[in-house]
Amino acid sequence: MKISLNWLKQYIDIKIPDEELIRLIGSRLVEVEGVIDETHKYDNIYVVRVEKAEKIPDTHLTLCQINNGGPELVQVVCGAPNVREGMLAVWLAPGAIVPASAHEDAPFVIGKRKMLDKYESSGMLAGADELDFDDKHEKIAEIDPEIAKPGDLLADIFNLNDLILEIENKSLTHRPDCFGIIGFAREVAGILGQEFKDPEFLFEERVFERGFLKYAENGLKSRDCNLTISIPDTTICPRYTAAVIRVAEATEKSKYLSKMQILIAKSGTFTHSKIVDVTNYLMYLTGQPLHAFDYDKFASVSGRENPEIVVRLAREGEKLTLLDDTEVTLNASDIVIASGDTPVALAGAMGGKSTMIDENTKNVLLESATFSLYNLRKTQMAHGIFSEAITRFTKGLSAGGTFNVLAEAVKEIGGKPLEVRDYYPSPIRPSVVKITTDEINSLLGTKYSTDLIIKTLQNVGFSIKVKGNALEIIPSYWRTDIHIKEDIIEEVGRLLGYDNIEPTLPLHGTANKNQMFELKRGLRNLLSKYGASEVLTYSFISERLLKKVGQAPSNSYKIVNSISPELQYVRQSIIPNLLEKTFLNEKLPVNQFAIYEMNKVYQKEWGLNQENVPEEKTNLAFIIADRKYNNKTAFYQAKKYVAAIFSKYNINATFVPLKESTPESKPYEKKRSAAIYIGEEYLGVVGEFKNSVKSEFKLADYLAGFEINLDLLMKHLSHSRKINYNKTRSEDLTVTSEKTYAEVLAQVEKDYPDTEISPVSVYQADNQPTKNYTFHIVYKS
Amino acid sequence: MDNIENLKAELKKLNSEAAKVRDLPPEKRADFGRELNAKKQAIIAAICEAEKAALDTEAEPIDVTAWCGVNEPMPEFYPAELGSKHPLMTELDRVIDIYQMMGFDVVESRQLDDEYHMFDSLNFAKEHPARDGYDTFRTEEGLIPPAHTSTMQHRVLKQFKDNLAAGKPIAAVMPGRVFRNEDVDATHEHTFYQCEGVYVSEDCTMGDMLGILREFFEKYYEQKLNIRTQPGYFPFTEPSLEFMIEKPKSLGGKKGDFLEMLGCGMIHPNVLKMAGIDPTRYHGFAWGGGIDRLVMLRYGLNDIRYFESGNLNFLREF
Repeated sequence: MKISLNWLKQYIDIKIPDEELIRLIGSRLVEVEGVIDETHKYDNIYVVRVEKAEKIPDTHLTLCQINNGGPELVQVVCGAPNVREGMLAVWLAPGAIVPASAHEDAPFVIGKRKMLDKYESSGMLAGADELDFDDKHEKIAEIDPEIAKPGDLLADIFNLNDLILEIENKSLTHRPDCFGIIGFAREVAGILGQEFKDPEFLFEERVFERGFLKYAENGLKSRDCNLTISIPDTTICPRYTAAVIRVAEATEKSKYLSKMQILIAKSGTFTHSKIVDVTNYLMYLTGQPLHAFDYDKFASVSGRENPEIVVRLAREGEKLTLLDDTEVTLNASDIVIASGDTPVALAGAMGGKSTMIDENTKNVLLESATFSLYNLRKTQMAHGIFSEAITRFTKGLSAGGTFNVLAEAVKEIGGKPLEVRDYYPSPIRPSVVKITTDEINSLLGTKYSTDLIIKTLQNVGFSIKVKGNALEIIPSYWRTDIHIKEDIIEEVGRLLGYDNIEPTLPLHGTANKNQMFELKRGLRNLLSKYGASEVLTYSFISERLLKKVGQAPSNSYKIVNSISPELQYVRQSIIPNLLEKTFLNEKLPVNQFAIYEMNKVYQKEWGLNQENVPEEKTNLAFIIADRKYNNKTAFYQAKKYVAAIFSKYNINATFVPLKESTPESKPYEKKRSAAIYIGEEYLGVVGEFKNSVKSEFKLADYLAGFEINLDLLMKHLSHSRKINYNKTRSEDLTVTSEKTYAEVLAQVEKDYPDTEISPVSVYQADNQPTKNYTFHIVYKS
Repeated sequence: MDNIENLKAELKKLNSEAAKVRDLPPEKRADFGRELNAKKQAIIAAICEAEKAALDTEAEPIDVTAWCGVNEPMPEFYPAELGSKHPLMTELDRVIDIYQMMGFDVVESRQLDDEYHMFDSLNFAKEHPARDGYDTFRTEEGLIPPAHTSTMQHRVLKQFKDNLAAGKPIAAVMPGRVFRNEDVDATHEHTFYQCEGVYVSEDCTMGDMLGILREFFEKYYEQKLNIRTQPGYFPFTEPSLEFMIEKPKSLGGKKGDFLEMLGCGMIHPNVLKMAGIDPTRYHGFAWGGGIDRLVMLRYGLNDIRYFESGNLNFLREF
């Protein structure tokens, strides 16, 4: 949303510098994303009178002599069809920047030039589009002689030296009232501690009358038409107010450059026709969107004698052609405005083609209504309509203002109202909040006085009754967001400035450490000390990657709205990501590396936990690689790393040939991998990867890894140490056997009790079935 | 191997059959082509599988109970200078340490959660547009990889509820990985880390919240900081604020250069109520902010994408 500070200042007297004002708005109302500085956008642009205008033969050009308030006339060549003697026009003097190009990297600067080789042309006469007030290039802008004279600066006449605030809409999600200049100004008044004077048209007593209401005051009697409004379900449309106005020329634009046209342009919408400009102007001013139908078309669509406005949910599959010529297929959650049974507009979003205003329009049906923000939100998403109107409706606009804004629109358009109807069966009742000064101060940590609190709230339109100790606070109709005490506390804290609250520190002793974070920190220290690098990789992987490692996609939770197929499944284990990162790093190239990640994994087959959410596990996965030829067996290096973990945490783990076929063990080559157990419990797997996996990932041959479950590891770890201070006696022992290392070790352990035994080497001569296992034996006593 | 040869022969035969299509009446040609192609695809897939299996059978068995290969030296660790720790993780450890010293228990956030914890328990009205503001991923089951660590608030309030009866506050932080469905660029990632905090007691104030947050950031950046707030909106806090710090000079900041660090506010009574805490007796505050941003500022990094890149040229700098 764009907020013009000049427009804002029409509603509130601001005595502080703009810079300070913007800071206060940012810290007490809303996030200001940016400020567009237009204080020099209209420099060197003047109001002039065309004194002479002579057609240049055989061209569309006119040679003009203009009066810029100076002693001599200036010659300008103009190509516009509407240039004529006596008119007041807008002159861009040499050196002026064309305002519409001001935001571009290379703004267009006007100079002196020669047209058709002989006509000197100094500066240019500008169209409203060049002035950045219109998007259509039709003719030059004309100025009302009532408001200006030759030589006046355009910026002075229209108050153009302005700062435009760019507001982050998301930070006002709950404040529909601030989506209009008046509401915004009211808040600024509150922030500055000033009373705010709301324009009178916002308060008309008849707002709270019930049911159908004929507006028969000031001679506005029901005459030629007989309009009814029918809303079967008022939860989708709490209030619908409509007026029929007779107009002379519905698509006419105002002859002169108008203040209204400029204000809506600054707010983000270019001029259209007088009627549409009024609806946009009032939307930017009050936050209440309006829509204009051609009344006679509306009446004829249904084919009935007495037109009936029906607001209802669309029928699934119903079709509607919108103003922009797109045909939409409606959903059952869309709200439509129907004439009788025929939909003519997508409520809150866009009008329909069939009731569009055109140059033949004689009577205009003006709508001012509120709709369910939930339905409109769905409409917005389903049809991709993000108009200024729907942005406001989806904030939960109050039903309280529709009538008054409509009445103001009728006044501005100045046509003849034939009829006004207001369907408002259950008027909103404000939620009265009772609160004490103490409750406010004790939550904020402040010492504000009751008087200050009352004044602060009254400034932004709350009515307050003092009832003994308590304040009874009645919000105005536009504050649909006030329901509970905390809402009032927010108002007080915010308007008086959170930054004025003294930070304090409630101290209490230290807390317990989180054991899993402690374990991860310990592992990080250990693995990094041994030359491994920690990585983080995405939790989501592709179906292709799952298949590459042999994991069933059906065991992965599948994301239905994933960013890409690359990120469609929740990973079952971490190794697939590490295999990908191994490829990346071998290609960089990095020669030798070990990478690891500790993170959470999920598998469907683990089911749900007690909270009814998926069981989760924290795993540590590790890969070691050496892209240069290395004729050693990678398995043993990976095993050395995982064993270092067990040694650090006193875990008695056993390695047995891999037989398991769990999802995490799938990519491992069974002949060259081991399952790891703590007692009977399966901890994970260490091993080399299948040749087919290495080839799929295009990885160098020297490659091994492991993946273990840290939840289980944490259950078994201990920090105790049994230290042998007495390492005096030791010897080496070689055993020749055809058995495996583990089997031989078991025998040696039996034969050498009370010793520390560690492996030294395994030797096998060519063509021999037996191996020589050498152990180092240290006696403990 | 024979199997592969047989399959290849079969494929060849099918290829030669392709010519038969010319003998067929035109209306049958399409069906014929389709069937033939399906058969070919099946055989190609089978060949692919068979080739993989053949490749895998080439692997020689090893003794996995041993500690080194036959006639190989004992394996060694890589030298320490190759090692590194992920900056996000070491910084997350620092964050945790500061909060823990200040008295906050630490609970890691989940990476797959449900609608109840992500939205319902946080006072998001059903179908409220605010739910759309989080660009949430969903699984087929309707589960949610959380878009904010606030998904842990309800759990943690329940978990530590008994503290209140014992006259102690609830004080906990919940760091973890979160996910948003948004395009990745130098300052946006779909996967990042946040840290949530909650504090509930009988007499805590917004002043306490501002004090705790300032204390944390001053400890984290190891210097005095100027703080500032601006109003925000979250359904689960009332009032809601954005908390900002002035970018420290030592990190290249200029005066008035304020950075949004986190969202915070006083916990909405409905959130306390849903966790079984009496909001008329207790109140509290909560906050949550990104870790990645914190770390990028500390190290002067300008591209968030490196964190999840796995690129050792980056990671080995830490």
